[in-house]
Amino acid sequence: MIDKIIKAYNEAVFETDKEAAFAVVYAAMAEGLSAEDIVFKVVIPAIEEMMANITRDPDANLAQHFMTAQIAAEVTEKMLEKFQQPPEMIGRVVIGTAAGDLHSLGKRIVMGCLKALMVDVVDLGVNVPPERFVDEALAREAQIIAVSAMMVHTATGENGARRVRQILRERGLEDRFRLVVGGAPYRFDNELYQSVGADGWAADGLSAGKMIVDMIRGMKREAV
Amino acid sequence: MTPLEILLAAINGTPAPRIPIFCNLLDQGARELGMHQRDYYANGENVAAGQLKMRARLGYDNVWSLFYVGKEAEFFGCQNILYAEDGSPNVGEFVIKSWDDIATLEVPDDITAHPAWAETAKCMRILRAEVGATHPICAYITASSSLPALLMGMDKWMELLLTGPADLRDLLLAKCAEFFQKEVAAYRAAGANVLVYSTPFGSAYFVGRKRFESFSLPWMKRDLAPGGVGGIVYYCGMAPFNEVIAQVMDELDINIHYISPLANLAEAKRIIDARLPAKGGKGLTCGVIDDIKMIQWTAEETRAEVKRMCEMGKPNGHFLFGTGVMPMAIPEANIIAMLDAAFEYGAFS
Repeated sequence: MIDKIIKAYNEAVFETDKEAAFAVVYAAMAEGLSAEDIVFKVVIPAIEEMMANITRDPDANLAQHFMTAQIAAEVTEKMLEKFQQPPEMIGRVVIGTAAGDLHSLGKRIVMGCLKALMVDVVDLGVNVPPERFVDEALAREAQIIAVSAMMVHTATGENGARRVRQILRERGLEDRFRLVVGGAPYRFDNELYQSVGADGWAADGLSAGKMIVDMIRGMKREAV
Repeated sequence: MTPLEILLAAINGTPAPRIPIFCNLLDQGARELGMHQRDYYANGENVAAGQLKMRARLGYDNVWSLFYVGKEAEFFGCQNILYAEDGSPNVGEFVIKSWDDIATLEVPDDITAHPAWAETAKCMRILRAEVGATHPICAYITASSSLPALLMGMDKWMELLLTGPADLRDLLLAKCAEFFQKEVAAYRAAGANVLVYSTPFGSAYFVGRKRFESFSLPWMKRDLAPGGVGGIVYYCGMAPFNEVIAQVMDELDINIHYISPLANLAEAKRIIDARLPAKGGKGLTCGVIDDIKMIQWTAEETRAEVKRMCEMGKPNGHFLFGTGVMPMAIPEANIIAMLDAAFEYGAFS
C-alpha cells in the first residue's frame, strides 16, 4: 500500500499539483497511515526522489523544486500537529537573504525542504544585515547560518556572507556555527562559496536541504 | 564595416571581417564617470555619456539604453530602489504586496509620457545622435510572464502562477503584456535596434516543457504579436534554454538567441544553424561568457575561454560573442583580455 501512496504523492508533486498531493495524504490517513508514516515514509522520500530527478530528468525544473518544498513543508506542518509525541528536530538554521537583496525564491525552497526534513528554521527575511545573522544564530542556538544571494554583489560583497564570516571570526564563534550560501552566482562559479568564507553551498534548494542536514549531523558527531 | 553592418552580416551570414562583439557594462558607467550610482542613474545624460565613453575606450560594438532591470517597476509606481556602489540597483519594495493590489495595478496609457521614461528618452536621444547610424543600441524589455517577478517578488509570482486563481494570474499577465507592447514600441520609436527580450519563464529550466508550451509560449505570442520580432533577441535571464530553441524559432520566429553560459554552446549553435535554411538564412547564436568566473580568473584564463568559445561558434558564421551580467568585481585587466581575445579569435582570416 505504501508504495502506491508514495507513487501517487510523487506524481502529484511532480505535476506541481498541491491539491492532488494533499488528497493523497488524506486518503492515506483514512486508510490507516499515521502522521509519522506520512512524513517519514512519504514526504521525505519524495524530497529525496526529487533530488535524484534533478540529475536524471532533463525536464526537472524550478517550479517543481518550489512546489515540492512548499507542499512538503505544508504537509509536514499539518502532520506534526498529529504526531503521538513531539518529534525530535534534527537541528536549527537561521536563514535570510543578504543585505541589499530581496530575492526570496531560493530561500523559500530551502526553508520548505528543511522543515520537511525536521529541521527548525528561523526565517530572518530579506535584506538582512550580517550582524543580525550572527546575533540571531546565537540567540536561537542554531547550528547553521544560511545566507541566500541572487546578485553577484550581494553574494560576494562586503555586507553578505563574507562579513558574516568575519564577524564569526572576530567574535570567536567559528567553531560554533557553519556558514552556508546559495543563489545564482554560486551556480555560475562553483568555487565562489569558498572565496566568501562559506563552509558549503548547493546548486539548488532541495540539495541545500540535504547538505544542511548532513552538516548538522556531522557537527553533532564531532561534539560527541 | 561599421559594428551595425557587422552585426547584420552575422545575422544574414554574409562576409564580414569579424564576429560582432557585445559587452554589457552597465553599472561600470558610474565608475567611468567618477559618480555615485544614485546620481549617475538620476540623469539619462550620464548613462549615455558612460556608455559612449566605455565603448570608445574599450572598443566593443554596442551601447545600452538600460539603466537597471528594476526600472520597469517604476512605471507601476515603485519609488524605492536600492542602490549599491558595488553592484546593480535593485527593486527595494514590491508594488504588489497582496493579490488585492493586482486589480488596481495601472499600466500607463502612454509610457513615453511617464516620468520613469523621461531619463531613458534623454539617454536614447544622445545614443541615437552619436552612434545610432553605426552601432547597435540595445534595449532590455521584460516579458509579460516574467515582469510579475519584479512587481511582487519571484516567490510570490511563482506561488500565484502555480497555485493561485487563474483569472487573477491572467489579469496580471494581461497588464504586463500590455506594458510590454507599449515599452517595445517606445524603444523602437526611440531608435533601439537590438531588443533583448528577457523571458526567464521562456526556459524549460524554470517551468518545465509542459508549462512552457501551455503557459509561456501563448503569453510570448501575445507580447510579440503587435510589434513583430524585428530586432528581438531571445534571452532567458542566464537560464539555459537549448531544449526550446527549435520551438521558439518555429513558433515565435525569433532567430537570435542569447545562450546561457550554463548551456552547451555547441549544441545551441547546431540547433540554430540547422534551422537557418528554413529562416531564409537569417539567424544568430550569441555565445555568452561565464563572466562571474571572470571575477577570479586570470587574464590568461579569460583569453583561453574566449578562444574556446570562438572556435566553437565561428565555423559557418552566424555567431556573436557576448557577456552575461558583467559584475563590477571583474578586474578591468580581464575585461580588456576578454575583448582583445574576442577581436583576435573572432576575426575571419
